[in-house]
Amino acid sequence: MELQLEAVTKNYKSKQVLKGISLTMRAGVYGLLGPNGAGKTTLIRILADVLHPTDGRVLYDGRDIRAVGDEYRAKIGYLPQDVSFYGDFTGRDHLEYSAALKGMEKARAKKRIEESACSVGLWDDLKRKCAAYSGGMQRRLGIAQALLDDPEILILDEPTSGLDPYERIKFRNIISAYAKDRLVLLSTHIVSDVEHIAAQIMMMEYGDIQHIHTSGEYIRQMKGRVWLAEMPAEQLMAYQNQAVISNVRAKDGCMEVRIISDTKPAPDAVQAVPTLEDAYLYLFNYLPGKAGR
Amino acid sequence: MSLFRFELRKLLLNRKALLLLLCLFVLYSVVGLTSTMFLIGSNDSYRAYEELAANWEGPFDSEKAAESEMIYQEVSARYGTDARMISRSVKDQPEIILAVNYHAYAERVEEYWNGTPPESAEEPYGIALLQGKLAELESQGRQDSFDYQELSAALERLEELGEPEFANALLWENLFNNWGEHMMQFLLFVPLTFVIAPVFALECSSGMDNLILSSRNGRRKIVTAKLLSVLAASTVVVALYLAGTFLFGFLPHGSFHGWNASIQSIPTYARSMFPWKIWQLAAVGAAWLIFTGAVYSLMICLISSRMKSQMGTAGVSLAILFVNVGLAAMGDTVTQRLGALVDFGLANVTLMKEVFGGYKGFNVFGMYVSYPVMAVFVLAAIATVAAFVAYLGQKSRAVA
Repeated sequence: MELQLEAVTKNYKSKQVLKGISLTMRAGVYGLLGPNGAGKTTLIRILADVLHPTDGRVLYDGRDIRAVGDEYRAKIGYLPQDVSFYGDFTGRDHLEYSAALKGMEKARAKKRIEESACSVGLWDDLKRKCAAYSGGMQRRLGIAQALLDDPEILILDEPTSGLDPYERIKFRNIISAYAKDRLVLLSTHIVSDVEHIAAQIMMMEYGDIQHIHTSGEYIRQMKGRVWLAEMPAEQLMAYQNQAVISNVRAKDGCMEVRIISDTKPAPDAVQAVPTLEDAYLYLFNYLPGKAGR
Repeated sequence: MSLFRFELRKLLLNRKALLLLLCLFVLYSVVGLTSTMFLIGSNDSYRAYEELAANWEGPFDSEKAAESEMIYQEVSARYGTDARMISRSVKDQPEIILAVNYHAYAERVEEYWNGTPPESAEEPYGIALLQGKLAELESQGRQDSFDYQELSAALERLEELGEPEFANALLWENLFNNWGEHMMQFLLFVPLTFVIAPVFALECSSGMDNLILSSRNGRRKIVTAKLLSVLAASTVVVALYLAGTFLFGFLPHGSFHGWNASIQSIPTYARSMFPWKIWQLAAVGAAWLIFTGAVYSLMICLISSRMKSQMGTAGVSLAILFVNVGLAAMGDTVTQRLGALVDFGLANVTLMKEVFGGYKGFNVFGMYVSYPVMAVFVLAAIATVAAFVAYLGQKSRAVA
């Protein structure tokens, strides 16, 4: 199974949101990282066939997904970024509705509803109305419906927003176990969501995928570029406008600052073990001047 | 559970919609009840009217006509000539109501034979008048013209129907007023608009269209399910209206008297060319409301599929519903130029008295086609186009 993007472009009036993205994905977990407005959701929507590219095409096993149509959509599970479930439906109603939308047979739907609900920890809440669900429960319900038909391609847009740390870890485990022979695309701006489970991480900015590497490769690139330095709070205020700072921690009356820099930022700075988050900040050059992008 | 049942649940079988349906049924029952109560003073008055009218029913009687004319002159001198005003003013005097009704019937008999006055702007009606018009066309050698076909068809029908007979169909008349006047559109079609409007627009506003459009059945089968649920919902709402006005229109007086009389005995349908009994008109009228309600609902469905907001959908739908009322209000010039829009606009075509109360015809490639047949054809075409465009739209639809 192969999903291929060929020069996919998307324009909204005069604004180009996706700039001719070409890429091939096979079985495995793909993380899509990028700041807000990078075009992640637009790309995800095109892959989920709910948005059509202005130019270019998406191929599933060499065939245009627009031509494959129902057959392609039968193979995908999709969790959109924003969705409000029908308040009058219970969790079970919603999963049954999703099963009907996916054209699942009744007996299989019943079995899969139980399995999916259990896997996201919603089994005991299936009889409750969706209107009474918390944000995290709604998100878990969304994940359950995406997994329902055991899809070959799983597309998840910001799946962990609203989940607590335990739920987030549990979600990562579900996805890891699930992705054995399937393609999972997970879009997020939370680096830790993909750090440990994604085989490939795509860094996206300004409508283009600028880097595709494994987590380890990103971290290796950062070797010698992450520093720890101590400085007084007053100095930090001035310093943070000139450097990419990934963390600040109060320590013994002064500040321990984690700095991302090609060169040693201060005489007493020492090297630190890099993380994927450092790579993210480094690649997107998160200087304060760019914060408003 | 099938998609259809889920769609129906979203539209109708949820707490809010069921509450709305309950409120509507109460409203419709009140409409049926009050319109009957205003018709005649009390149950006793109605019983007395029924007994009196029993002796007056049947073919035209000139003595009774003369008697009713005398009473009518006295009453009109006191209350004016407006029939509704008179009946409201004398609603506890069944003998006067009967005389006034017989007087109106006598006028209809006169019209049947001698027709509308030549200066009347109405469609030509009446045996003598139609014969005169046909003779005029024959003298001009226009036997092949559409006008000749239309008038000769009308004359033929009128002769077949024969002279109208008097019947007590007071309660049925009230029922047909409830089913066929503009008030019905406000009571029935306006609420229907708000029931149907969310059918597609809800998905857009909730973000559920992402899930629907990305699913196997989210491009075709969902449209079938939505269209069927819309038809079911519209049928339920119309059925509530029919049931509420029917039950509570007859319940206070506990009588269906007049059910087997000819529809020409009801003033609004006096010029109808259909040889139907009153119960048949009631059946046709109910079917017509269900049919027009379904067509209007499919139009709303299409609008909903093209718009993102439920209120926007409702606004556009209501504008389409009443556009021909606005056109008609703009005067004869507009009406003549945009005649088809007025005739087949929903505000006109949903009124059973407009469609079944006369003999209007249309020139279709030189053939005379009656208004009801044309109306069925036009509405069926609208419904088909609406459904087809809804399918096409969903096939190529993308999220905003």
